[in-house]
Amino acid sequence: MGLSSIFDHLTRKPIRSTGKVSLGTVASTAESKEVKKGASFYLEYIRKDKPALAGMVIIGAFMVFAVFEAIMQELASVLGRPDLGWMFLPTNPLALYFNLKLEPPSLTNFPANLMGTNFQGQSILSRVLYATPHDATASVVVVGSAILIGMFLGSAAGYFGGWVDEIMMRLTDAFLALPPLVLAIAVAVVIGGGFTSLLYALMIIWWPTYARFFRAQALTLRNKPYVEAAKLSGSSSFGILVKHIIPNSVDPIIAYATLDMGTVILTYAALAFLGIGISSGYPEWGAESSQGLQFFPLQWWYSIMPGAVIAVVVIAFTLVGDRLQDLIGGRTNY
Amino acid sequence: MVSNFALFVTRRAINAVITMFLLVALVFSLLHILVPSPVAMARIILGNPRASTGIINAIIKENDLNAPIYIQFYNYVVGLLHGNFGTDTFYHIPELLEIETYLPITLELVIIGQILGVLIGLYTGAIAAANRNRAPDYGMKALYLTTWSAPIFLVGFVMQLVFAYWLNLLPATEMVDPTLTAPPTVTGAPLIDSLLAGNWVYFWSALQHLILPAFAIAVIGFGLVTRLGRASMIDALDRDYVKLAYMKGLSKGKVVWGTAFRNAMIPIITLVALLFAFSVGGAVIIEDVFSYHGMGFFTVNAIYNDDYTAVLAFTIISGIAVILANFVADLLYAVADPRVRLT
Repeated sequence: MGLSSIFDHLTRKPIRSTGKVSLGTVASTAESKEVKKGASFYLEYIRKDKPALAGMVIIGAFMVFAVFEAIMQELASVLGRPDLGWMFLPTNPLALYFNLKLEPPSLTNFPANLMGTNFQGQSILSRVLYATPHDATASVVVVGSAILIGMFLGSAAGYFGGWVDEIMMRLTDAFLALPPLVLAIAVAVVIGGGFTSLLYALMIIWWPTYARFFRAQALTLRNKPYVEAAKLSGSSSFGILVKHIIPNSVDPIIAYATLDMGTVILTYAALAFLGIGISSGYPEWGAESSQGLQFFPLQWWYSIMPGAVIAVVVIAFTLVGDRLQDLIGGRTNY
Repeated sequence: MVSNFALFVTRRAINAVITMFLLVALVFSLLHILVPSPVAMARIILGNPRASTGIINAIIKENDLNAPIYIQFYNYVVGLLHGNFGTDTFYHIPELLEIETYLPITLELVIIGQILGVLIGLYTGAIAAANRNRAPDYGMKALYLTTWSAPIFLVGFVMQLVFAYWLNLLPATEMVDPTLTAPPTVTGAPLIDSLLAGNWVYFWSALQHLILPAFAIAVIGFGLVTRLGRASMIDALDRDYVKLAYMKGLSKGKVVWGTAFRNAMIPIITLVALLFAFSVGGAVIIEDVFSYHGMGFFTVNAIYNDDYTAVLAFTIISGIAVILANFVADLLYAVADPRVRLT
């Protein structure tokens, strides 16, 4: 949870998933067909805003490349041919070329030297590209799991109320009392190193915000006529939650989740910068930046370049998320 | 009215204490869910995964790790109430001693950074609101979207590069000129201590070293204030009393800063507490980048030394700091806006 998410906490008015927006206008009809219509509607809306469109393009490129690179690396390890992993990168990101060490960014040796080289003569561009799968995985997996956990716990808390609600909310209070970075450090240090355990650590701490969202949604939805109708027609509580409450709560979460994916990447990078969850032999954006610290400021590109890449990706998420926020908050005319 | 306010304060104080207790319970149960066996726990306490069985058994006995979980929890809470955060596994001294050294330094840094951040945020937010949907508004938005999307360490690096190495205005790292003798420790915060001792050379040096990291903390956080400040200013500018001020013939500057701004300030108070939490987290990275030896430095060291008691102590301390900040913000809000006290 970063700044943007804190902000949303503060300014979120009662969410109007059934406002002027034409998705699931009558909430009772918002079933899977309507949601699909919503997705293309969102894309159309993003396209009208140039910065958001640019952000969308960057996110698309980042995700597509990350998936491609992940497949190549997986193939490399399955087939036992490590060179497949960097087949489409400028240079081998893991081999050492000490004769090329600490060269400034330039167009020579294009494109390998575009971001300069590090202490071991490896192209920083290659290493940054090689590390994309981890960051993409982290953002998707952590936000996805947070939505899933938050969805069930939060909706249940809001729908049932009473002591279930009380326990859930006090629990999220305790989670949210801590700065997320600090909590992530604590959990990650206790779980131990490695990428997977870092993912677990982030998943453990990330859901409370979403639980809050879904709870607030469930509170407004549970008295709607169609929920009452479902109750009267004998649907089970679980059925009502899954069929009526959750589908109608999801829309407003989309904008927040988009912003949040950027925040996950930031937190992940910060943890890697502190040396948590990194494994030797695999580059990480944050860790690259932290290695450059000892060559700072003379070889400034060593730490600045990986950081700048993180910033570009996160800004892309922020632009798209911000645009979607405008739509959901109803702040612009469309 | 007074009793009403006292009731409000009491209620909030009880809430804060409950949240603190839950925080401790959360940290404790996370720890015990993640590390279920006493042997594994003893290894973590030792900070050494290859310790011999004898040593591990000794640790288990010493820390009562075989006791039922509720007794361990009771011991833990009682220990915390006595200021016992455990013994540092690396330096073998009580954590409390280390916290006493490092906490004032970080508090000084974060609070000054916070004040700077709120000032920048209020100023930019008011400008953006007064020029809604024009160039300054979009400029401010581009600025804060960039700063809150940039990784914290990048902000630190860029500021070091520009202000310290390129413009040569301020020192880039360290807390104070190392050749100076420190004033006697009273509060632990270098600025206040040197002021109390009347040591102006030390004060000036400490201040110079503080500006960049504090400013970095301000930069990573101000966007939040800008955004809420803008929204709340726009709200205030649409009110009738602002229109009246215009009709009275006051200049735009007087209306914006004199009338609307003061009313728009109120919602910012709650924000400051949230921003404080964010800054405490950010301070870990900022202190690492600027070699500023506060709690962040202490935590980063603890991470490198696999010193889990230190990390947990830091977690609990920052949680308590954030809860206290929230409590203070609640009180300030009630002072600024009496309607709040009724709820």
